[in-house]
Amino acid sequence: MLIAQHICDQFTDKELVEKSLANIDFFSCLYERFEPQLLRYINRITSLNNEEIEDILQEAFIKIWRNLNDFDHNLSLSSWIYRIVHNETISFWRKKNSRGKDQNIAFDDHLKETISGDANDIENKEDKEQAIYLLLERLPINYKTVLVLKFLEGMSYQEISDVLKIPEGTVATRINRAKKAFAKIAKEHGVSFDKNFQNTSL
Amino acid sequence: MKRSKKIIERIRQEEIRPIPKWVFTSKNVIIWLAFLLSIFIGSAAFSIVLFAIQQTDFDLISHMSHSRLEWFLGLLPFFWIITLVVFIVISTFSMYHSKRGYKLPWSRLVGGSVALSILLGSLFFIGGGAGKLEKAFAIRVALYESLEHKKKKIWMSPEDGYLSGTIQSVQDSIIQLIDFDSRHWQVDFHDAFIPPVVYLENGEAIKLIGNINGENSFKAEEVRPWGGPQHRNKRKGKRKKEE
Repeated sequence: MLIAQHICDQFTDKELVEKSLANIDFFSCLYERFEPQLLRYINRITSLNNEEIEDILQEAFIKIWRNLNDFDHNLSLSSWIYRIVHNETISFWRKKNSRGKDQNIAFDDHLKETISGDANDIENKEDKEQAIYLLLERLPINYKTVLVLKFLEGMSYQEISDVLKIPEGTVATRINRAKKAFAKIAKEHGVSFDKNFQNTSL
Repeated sequence: MKRSKKIIERIRQEEIRPIPKWVFTSKNVIIWLAFLLSIFIGSAAFSIVLFAIQQTDFDLISHMSHSRLEWFLGLLPFFWIITLVVFIVISTFSMYHSKRGYKLPWSRLVGGSVALSILLGSLFFIGGGAGKLEKAFAIRVALYESLEHKKKKIWMSPEDGYLSGTIQSVQDSIIQLIDFDSRHWQVDFHDAFIPPVVYLENGEAIKLIGNINGENSFKAEEVRPWGGPQHRNKRKGKRKKEE
């Protein structure tokens, strides 16, 4: 029997880990607490269909369950869970990508439709979001990931470092390079964003 | 059905259990043990590299008539240099795979391993452990050619002007010497350069640069201590005890 939401809400992330190890039903609290943001994250870095995204998340949570005793309490649970979900997502995405390489053509067509005509004046917020996603799709996965984590998930450098298991300095460098690559691709497609891309709220 | 319920049911159905904590603890312990062991071996290798450099008379290269490069390469302790590099790589990777290793950039991981190996290796060398370790290694590993053996090969060629051995007696400017092949020599050191690190005493091992000037007779131009400058310190300690 699953734990009621109001009971789940009484516990912190770390308490829920301990509770889950003692009683598996509490694991559902963890799942429900992180599910919306993780589904969104997987979607942001892969643009897979809903069924595939849910499969990835389920497999990732099975891994989280298996490795629950390995959770380092000095780390935030969110970063640790994101790390496992990220790895699962990337491995699924790579497998899928090695099967079909024609997706870029579709993205390009979609981008043209979205920004049809005057690319510099995308006033509609949804169109702008859509344009950002489509431009992100054109970036290498490691650039796309840091941009999504930093600007769309709103993580700090330290949290990104914990998710991707890379030093904070590398995170900063990669974000800078990714921003330049993003700006270049945006320019190539005739789209311009303000300097404070980081303040773009989606 | 809620997705959270689906997951819990799957875990129950497939009887998936969390991996026990001891497995992760053991993994961490193994990683740290690998790190410590590789730092220890790396340090030992570095100390022997220092020892080899100290024991090698690189200045002899200028005296060599045949390929100097070949001779120089022959003197380098490649085995220990390779061992040092291999164990620095292992310690770096062990550190990286520790729980927080990813937080440090590779430059710091490598730098840390190198610095630790150099620091501990230098201490080990200063403590006099390097020579003993190298000797013990040479005894146990048949394929390994010891530094002592390499050194003897160079310094046991009187035809080329290099002779070494142990002093039997010293009288006026003549040394009675027995070389490492148990051959007796009469060495004239009248015009030889003798640095202060050399003690011309019975039982002292020395190296000589000079020429053969008769049967079992050698004219020395320079006398050196067999064990290098470290040898002098040991002798000093020994003398003090005797006094």
